Amino acid sequence: MYKLQPNDPIKNEPAKEIVRLSDNAHIPFDEANKDYQEYLEWLAEGNTPEPADG
Amino acid sequence: MSTIAVNAITDANSGNTTTINSVTPNVHNTVGKNLVINGAMQIDQRNATTTALGYTLDRFYLFRSSNHDQHAFSVVQDTDAPDGFSNSLKYTTTTAETTVDADELLYLRQRIEATNLQQLAYGTTSAKKVTLSFWVKSSVTGTFAVSLYQQDGMKNLSKTYTINSANTWEKKTITYIGNTSNAIIDDTGIGIQIDWILSAGSDYTSTDSSSAWTAYGSGESFAYGHGTNAVATTLNATWQLTGVQLEVGESATEFEHRPYGTELLLCQRYYNFYEGDNYSCVYSTSNCFTILDLPAEMRATPTVGYSDRRSGASNYYFSSYNYPRRVQLLSAGITNGYVTDVTLDSEL
Repeated sequence: MYKLQPNDPIKNEPAKEIVRLSDNAHIPFDEANKDYQEYLEWLAEGNTPEPADG
Repeated sequence: MSTIAVNAITDANSGNTTTINSVTPNVHNTVGKNLVINGAMQIDQRNATTTALGYTLDRFYLFRSSNHDQHAFSVVQDTDAPDGFSNSLKYTTTTAETTVDADELLYLRQRIEATNLQQLAYGTTSAKKVTLSFWVKSSVTGTFAVSLYQQDGMKNLSKTYTINSANTWEKKTITYIGNTSNAIIDDTGIGIQIDWILSAGSDYTSTDSSSAWTAYGSGESFAYGHGTNAVATTLNATWQLTGVQLEVGESATEFEHRPYGTELLLCQRYYNFYEGDNYSCVYSTSNCFTILDLPAEMRATPTVGYSDRRSGASNYYFSSYNYPRRVQLLSAGITNGYVTDVTLDSEL
């Protein structure tokens, strides 16, 4: 399971990461990152991340 | 000072096979010849007893298919090692698998980054042979497979070695032909993966891949030749590894002992650990940053983990600012935060 992050509070831009809830790891949106690759596969299976807080 | 100036040094019998201390000098057995990182098992940044699939000592990953029924294991860094080495990776079965089913698989792997393998000239008629050498010790005797898997092209080549005597360090040497059909794309992804098979069901041993690079398919050739699954089916069975070297050519040369600091830097391209509280600096009336310098440029933007953060601080965000020389972790809602035991992971 994954969770979206709220906007970057300084730049007020969408966060460039997703949080993996099993270990609270912050996964950047980088297609070379293996954790992000796994997240994309998880999305492709029809899953949806939890919305961001606030 | 004396100088020897000659055009060639040749073997007494003929040719250019002269040896120095039993090693034939060539362009490949120089500094940097070992394509494996942490082959002497010195670096253990995670410093943990691994009991689930995942990274163990730096760069070495223990894979276990999720369909095992009883099997449990541990992997630790151990000081038992052959002469000339100080450490080994030690696997122990802590709960035995009653029967290894056809679709069960257990292996240790190291993935080598593609950009570091361009010298192999794979995908051309000049594709080079490589030789894998390592020290191994196990409570289980028998035939074990070691497979090379190439991501680009999705092929593997599986060879075997035999553990002749239980609980005895033995040095093994295996040569693999080059893949003339599929190039290793020059990027930061997976180039070649070395897989030491510990147990494999029949789904992974049915197709012969011992003499040619073979399409991976559903894994039928992945562990071809693997002969014993007793490591997984025997309580307290052990299997240890060290002195791992993969080098270009048809023969194994002496292990390249790199300085500890050099080996650590090579590992830090893939994983970094910042122990303890890493304090933040104020950015605004409600935000703060923790800045972590990177000792080496990481392979990819890393996944950030941490064990704790100061009360009141929101989740830390990864900020790409100044990456890849450093990473910046931003926290909202507090100006004097800290974040504890940070890990940065860009493993393959």
